Amino acid sequence: MLRTTLAGLRMHKSRYFTTVMAILLGVMFVSGTMVFADTLNANYEKSVMGSATSVDAIAVPAAEEPADPAEPSEPEPLTEAQLDGVRALPEVAGADGIVSGQAVLLDRDGRAFGFMPPAAISIGETSRFSAAEGELPGGPDELALAGSTAEQAGFGVGDTVTVLDPAQEEREFTVTGLVDFGVDPGYSYGGALVFSPDTVGEMTGATGYTEIDVLASEGHTDEQAAEAVAALLGDSADVQTGEAFGLEMAESAGGDTAMMRTALLLFAFIAMFVAGIVIYNTFAILIAQRQREMALLRCVGAKRGQVFRSVLLESVAVGLIASALGVLAGVGIGMAGAAFGGPLLGMGGSVPVVITPSAVIVGLAVGTVVTVCSALVPATRATRVPPLAALRTSATAGGLEKGTGWMRVVFGVLTFLVSAALVALTQVSGPNQMGPVIVTAAALIAFVGVVVLGPLLVRGIVRLVGVPLRRVGVPSMLAVDNSTRSPRRAATAMIALTVGATLITGYSVVSASLESTMTRMLDEQFPVDYQVSAQYSMDGASGGDTVAEEAPAEDGAGTDGVPAEDTVQPPPESTQEGQEGEAPADGASPEDSADAEDGGASPEEGADTSASGETGMPLVPTEVEHALAESPLLDKVIAQRGGTVEGYDASPVGSLPVSTYDGAELGVDITGETVEGEISGFGPGEVLLSEGLADGLGVGDTLTLPSPDGEVDLEVAAVLADAQTLRGAVVSPEDFATLFPDTTDSEMVYVRAAEGADASEVRDAVYTAVDDHPTMQVMSVAEMKNQFSDMMDIAFYTIAAMLGLAIVIAVFGISNTMALSVLERTRESALLRALGLAKGQLRRMLGVEAVLLCLIGAGIGIVLGVVFGWAAGAATLPDMVLTVPAGQIAVFIAVAVLAGLLASVLPARRAAGASITGALASE
Amino acid sequence: MTESTVKTVPPVASPPVVVARGLTKTYDTGDSKVHALAGVDVEFHRGAFTAIMGPSGSGKSTLMHCLAGLDVATSGSVHLGRTEITGLRDAELTLLRRDRIGFIFQSFNLLPMLTAEQNILLPSQIARRAVDKERFEHIVDVVGLRDRLHHLPAKLSGGQQQRVAVARALLNAPEVVYADEPTGNLDSRSGSEVLAFLRGSARDLHQTIVMVTHDPVAASYADRVVFLRDGRLVDEVLEPTAELVSARLLKLEEV
Repeated sequence: MLRTTLAGLRMHKSRYFTTVMAILLGVMFVSGTMVFADTLNANYEKSVMGSATSVDAIAVPAAEEPADPAEPSEPEPLTEAQLDGVRALPEVAGADGIVSGQAVLLDRDGRAFGFMPPAAISIGETSRFSAAEGELPGGPDELALAGSTAEQAGFGVGDTVTVLDPAQEEREFTVTGLVDFGVDPGYSYGGALVFSPDTVGEMTGATGYTEIDVLASEGHTDEQAAEAVAALLGDSADVQTGEAFGLEMAESAGGDTAMMRTALLLFAFIAMFVAGIVIYNTFAILIAQRQREMALLRCVGAKRGQVFRSVLLESVAVGLIASALGVLAGVGIGMAGAAFGGPLLGMGGSVPVVITPSAVIVGLAVGTVVTVCSALVPATRATRVPPLAALRTSATAGGLEKGTGWMRVVFGVLTFLVSAALVALTQVSGPNQMGPVIVTAAALIAFVGVVVLGPLLVRGIVRLVGVPLRRVGVPSMLAVDNSTRSPRRAATAMIALTVGATLITGYSVVSASLESTMTRMLDEQFPVDYQVSAQYSMDGASGGDTVAEEAPAEDGAGTDGVPAEDTVQPPPESTQEGQEGEAPADGASPEDSADAEDGGASPEEGADTSASGETGMPLVPTEVEHALAESPLLDKVIAQRGGTVEGYDASPVGSLPVSTYDGAELGVDITGETVEGEISGFGPGEVLLSEGLADGLGVGDTLTLPSPDGEVDLEVAAVLADAQTLRGAVVSPEDFATLFPDTTDSEMVYVRAAEGADASEVRDAVYTAVDDHPTMQVMSVAEMKNQFSDMMDIAFYTIAAMLGLAIVIAVFGISNTMALSVLERTRESALLRALGLAKGQLRRMLGVEAVLLCLIGAGIGIVLGVVFGWAAGAATLPDMVLTVPAGQIAVFIAVAVLAGLLASVLPARRAAGASITGALASE
Repeated sequence: MTESTVKTVPPVASPPVVVARGLTKTYDTGDSKVHALAGVDVEFHRGAFTAIMGPSGSGKSTLMHCLAGLDVATSGSVHLGRTEITGLRDAELTLLRRDRIGFIFQSFNLLPMLTAEQNILLPSQIARRAVDKERFEHIVDVVGLRDRLHHLPAKLSGGQQQRVAVARALLNAPEVVYADEPTGNLDSRSGSEVLAFLRGSARDLHQTIVMVTHDPVAASYADRVVFLRDGRLVDEVLEPTAELVSARLLKLEEV
């Protein structure tokens, strides 16, 4: 029996080509993903470990138990004395500390580099970091840049760069070297500047060490050094050996690769699923075609089990061979991915490829198991046919299938109904967290319906589409008839394509709808052209804070009511002061009074203070606002100011964000959805409250808020829907001034150009206003939209590329189905040729048939994708604007047509190339 | 069985429709060459119903295929009317088959997904040729398929299927109809019906028909029978009867 099986395999090997390709591609994806992820992982580990293991022990300040879980505190840095103590230890050969703060680096245009200022640090002689190129800075006018920062800002060794000191003064430095910080999250994201140890204090105001790197002295192990340092530093520091530190970092870096691996494996799963469908169909057809052969085997005495086992054996052989090839291809792809994708993901240099046994074994196992499982059903079916019946089947009758049973129809329709009910449920219940889950379930159920009703759908659609096609000519008429000859086969082939088409269309609908929803929200609620904000700073608090002022977007940080202080905040970074530095400079700024009031609140350094958000949200100085307001080109300048009222019980975080929009007519310039009442007509004495914070207050009720001059009563003018631009408590500028007399700087300034103003002049006007404030970031709304849509596009193309493989596999499946059908119809093709059908017409016939199949598959996928894309979007986003990306869908359809043509190339060549007489003679 | 008796004599005075001269077909099987046709000279006249007979492997199917332009002869020439079909390219042969030749095969004559009517009309549709409605009606009535026109082949008996094939071959009044064992798969009653149609169409419609068969009874319906052996034309009988043909065949096999 084994011999028969193998002989059969050898004889039919050309029939297995596309099956092997399908398995191969799927396995390739799985193995390739694993090799790629393993390589990335190893590389991360190596780079992190490499830098960490260059020192023997690393001490970092211990995080204190946060007084308030809502506000994790930064640990106290280690002191000079502690460093000296470490150096004095007998186990320690050398130790140096890293001082770190932030400093604003100006780019080539003189604007602040980055979304937030890069870290500014100094590293000593003993350090886990070293210069990758050039040297570490030695003098006061020298600095080194993180490699990534240098690349992004376009600076190199020898260049002169400008950095703002805490007083906001520009200072020039020469770049002496580049430092590779690897994947250290503290430095790799925002970038880093390395100063000499003497300069870093001047430039950042930072004191103390955020890390002490230690080398063990001769005769002492890493552990001994670490223990000694730990004993000395006690609770104030966490001490680890370099290796342990490296491992920990590698682990957290590994988290990223793990996520990427999961995402890639998800796509690999989809690819394998599609491959499974293709394999199933191939075996089903092959076995149907070989029914007589099997019947003959049964007639000459083979048992049912033997035939069954023979088919299974065949699938194991095919699966193993294809999987092995797939693993090989996967390793190649993984290597290529690591070579080309590695540098994009921040891996430097040559990447040694890591091939783990699990990548190989999983690839082989997945491919083989999927193949065998896909062959099980056809094998069972094959052995159920009585031998004599199979022998008797005539060639003519063999190609035609029986109609669709009514059970199938009922079941299929039922699945659609259930699916529709689920979707309706999500739409009625409105957006919530369960929405997407339910929609996914509904989509899966509908998909089962498509599978069940597939043959019927194919027949129905072909009948419909066939009407015009039949008139085109004989080839397309024959193609239409051919495509419904074995609807089940056609349906299975098509469904493989439907999977990919559904996913990709669904995603594109969600993506496009998200984009247009966002655009509409911006346009309607926020009709501005530019927004000006200060460079964001991660480290939060600045030295001086105004009273109880806080960005509404922040986490409600203050712990002790009004006035909130930032005493538990980390050592203030000078950057913020830097940004606000202009305020004192112009003398008129009211922040000065704020400084006077609570300058002492920031213990480490209260020297250079100016306004910034209490949680460190840097602000836009009034000066900028005025400069903007003066420009005749700008129609509206809206300053958004914010503060926080603490002790507001209705809020989950205990505080109420209060904001005002100075210069805006609410309800016209800025608007939003209301639950109750109207926004327009809003004025002093009134407040707009978010529903979630309204605490049961309705329109006409009174909200009493504390102010330095006593309580202020405000009448609720409208209750706002949650989660939109207008949020928290929105008050008039006048009331805001009463509530927060010290907050005059804005979190954000919005600018709208005057009607008819020249776009480039407007742009110039805005940039001129912030010219003296390099840390002010100007964002045009158009740019924002572009950025957003670029981001969406990148995500879309990535996902499309990932799903592309599933589509390629499906096309292989369709090609395979075509090829096997052509084989079955050899005599028919010969007959047609004898009757005068030209070779080209025969090819066209098969082309139309394949295109028809692909179009049906893609069409059903597109319909499902649009429906469930809409459902998923509407279940997540309130007021979603459904956008069906017609352009992209047209591309999908074009791809489907192309795929059909491609799928028909080989089978058509084969059919047209066959000799007529030979084909007629063959049985 | 001398060379002189091989010479073909026109059975009727009408001009030849198909003329083959010195037709050879050699298959190269690697070590040896097989001469399927070893120089055949034959002509078929308008309105004549000719049967080609011979033992298995005598080259009768090959001769038909070469005559019909389905297969390419190694040497020699075949003329259909004034057209020399040997040497035509595939595209031209396709047009020739489409417009000027009709075919009836032993089995698998019909496309299973087309109804009887669609099958009959298929060549016209391929050629984008207008159908002579009258002729269609006439032929459908003659072959007795009136009430079966909308059935799929799977629903038709073997005889009915072959009658559909005959109707299809005759519909366009091709210059010549080639029938390859048209009754091979039929019971004797259906077979004689089909053969009667063929003879009738030759006589009434002046249809030239060339039929390959190994059945003496089938051959007896023809006006003339030519005998092939080892790729050569070796004998010929006019106004044959089944007995006469059988006798000749037996004689051929003996030699």
